[in-house]
Amino acid sequence: MAYDLQLSHIGKVYDNGTPAVIDFNLDVDKGEFIAFLGPSGCGKTTTLRMIAGFESITSGDLLIRGKRVNDLQPEKRPTSMIFQNYALFPHMTVRQNVMFGLEVKQLPVAEANRKVDRILDKLGLTEVANVRPTRLSGGQRQRIALARSLVVEPDILLLDEPLGALDANLRKSIQNELKLLQRDLGITFVFVTHAQSEALALSDRIVVMNAGRVEQISPPRELYTRPQSIFVARFIGANTLISGKVRNVEGGAVSLDTPFGALVAEPPAASITTGASASIVLPAEAMNVLPGSMAEAEVRAKHGNVVPCQINRLQLVGHILQIGMTLPSGESVSLEGHADKYRDTLRAGAAGYVAWNPADTTLIAQ
Amino acid sequence: MESRIIKPALGVYVALFVLFLYGPFVVLTIISFQQGPDGGPQFPIIEWSTYWYRQIFGLTPPSRVAPLPFGEALIRSLVLALMTMVVSTVLGVMSAQAFRRNFKGSAVVFYLIVLGMMVPGVLTGLGTSLLANNIIGIERHWYTTAFATHVAYTFPFAFLVMLAILNRFDSSVEEAAWSLGVDPWTTFRKVTFPLIFPGVLSAMLFAFTLSLDEFPRTLFASGRDQTLPLAIYGTFSVEIHPNIFAFGVLTTLFSFALLSVYGILMAMSVRRAKKMAMQEDIA
Repeated sequence: MAYDLQLSHIGKVYDNGTPAVIDFNLDVDKGEFIAFLGPSGCGKTTTLRMIAGFESITSGDLLIRGKRVNDLQPEKRPTSMIFQNYALFPHMTVRQNVMFGLEVKQLPVAEANRKVDRILDKLGLTEVANVRPTRLSGGQRQRIALARSLVVEPDILLLDEPLGALDANLRKSIQNELKLLQRDLGITFVFVTHAQSEALALSDRIVVMNAGRVEQISPPRELYTRPQSIFVARFIGANTLISGKVRNVEGGAVSLDTPFGALVAEPPAASITTGASASIVLPAEAMNVLPGSMAEAEVRAKHGNVVPCQINRLQLVGHILQIGMTLPSGESVSLEGHADKYRDTLRAGAAGYVAWNPADTTLIAQ
Repeated sequence: MESRIIKPALGVYVALFVLFLYGPFVVLTIISFQQGPDGGPQFPIIEWSTYWYRQIFGLTPPSRVAPLPFGEALIRSLVLALMTMVVSTVLGVMSAQAFRRNFKGSAVVFYLIVLGMMVPGVLTGLGTSLLANNIIGIERHWYTTAFATHVAYTFPFAFLVMLAILNRFDSSVEEAAWSLGVDPWTTFRKVTFPLIFPGVLSAMLFAFTLSLDEFPRTLFASGRDQTLPLAIYGTFSVEIHPNIFAFGVLTTLFSFALLSVYGILMAMSVRRAKKMAMQEDIA
């Protein structure tokens, strides 16, 4: 009962038999900011539309505040949706757009007016209240869509790539506004996006989807540092994957035979057995690049894992040093580091080492 | 080089086209100003006059040419066209709305509707007349049997117009309204309908004009009281006087007036639609 929104074994199969969403499970707390993240066609928007009531649910249960709403019409659900193209009513003024949802609720006129005034003021739309939305900028129209949806006081606000149509600068500032607004109102947001930066910056938890299935549900930091599947490891962040075979599992360390020799990793949450295939997910942030003049044994003793590399490119951009390398497997890796960390130690065209601490990597069994 | 030949050729083609389109009307207009009551429907113009126009409105002394018996027929035709317009447009909007979702047998229903404009009018008229007389056993009237044939004929036009309009309609505005808690019927009235109104206007115009000058179906299905096209045809079989031409000019002017009203309403709606399109472009 404590959950605002529950999806339990939700599935969607289109009329032509194509599965769109498979066994989706999620419990959302009140006031939580959830992001559905995935490549296009992964089923994230379909799931959002099932919550809104625009798509029928083939199997499973959808609960809002403990009540099953599978067969409730969209207008009777306590949800409100923001569309990618805003879907404002072009034949109404900004004020009429915002007032529209309140009109059918038969509130006293004075109260409805007060609510509209308050939300217009909150979103800085008072000055354009009597203008048709078609004459306004993308950012303003985004805010009108927000005002229109929030004024009806939904329990859950659904947002379908709401920032997708905005330019980069505007996206940043609206992103911040959105986060503040959500904290301020304390209502549950479910946000669909294909941009990981948005999901990572805004949400309390991220649901990564691929081909209709949930890959992982984690808070942003955990998702970023501890991917649970190869898909997530490739989709989120800038990771290098090193596959190998488990040689032995001993205490808190797993050693693997990889194309780069023996490497050590921390054991994954699930148990892993000797001889199993596994991949080490190595985030670019965990890599240290060291000059080839150092002794390999010394590097290994200090960092834990080391792989020789060829440094191809060094480029200083302000305080950031961009480093391009080739691993012995021929794979190119690039990373960015603080200029001070690497001051004058590396030379382009020279040999070097990539070294990292096993604790900074994640091991995924395959 | 190319345009030196093609452009004048196309110009001539357009000129001929316009001539064929409006030539008869120009001739008709000229002869309608023939002297009366002795002048006949032919050249040369004996003397320019507005006699035949005055005669239509009963402003001339009685003569050997009887005034046109169109008063009641005209009213019947206008009422019939209005009734047809309303019913066909409502049906057209509703059925096109139904076709936005795929349903079982939609292809069959589509062709059933469109059949109404494909079947030869004479057959429809004759069939309706036989059905009414011999099978159901009801009297034929312009407002019953003829009305039914008019609706069956104009409904497909209204339907196709609305289908094209709704095809391009962005349904996310409707979903937005639903998600605000607005029920589907209110959403249709306050969101969908205002946005598809230009299309509704076109559907209305189609239904009205097609019904107003419908002949073959009405001929068999209308029974005793005649509509305007039938009444005009009736006068041809006796003797033709320029008053029928004067009447033609007046009805054409009426049609132009109607078109102007349509044009103005359309321009207003299109301006709104353009704004909407702009909104989508930017989005």
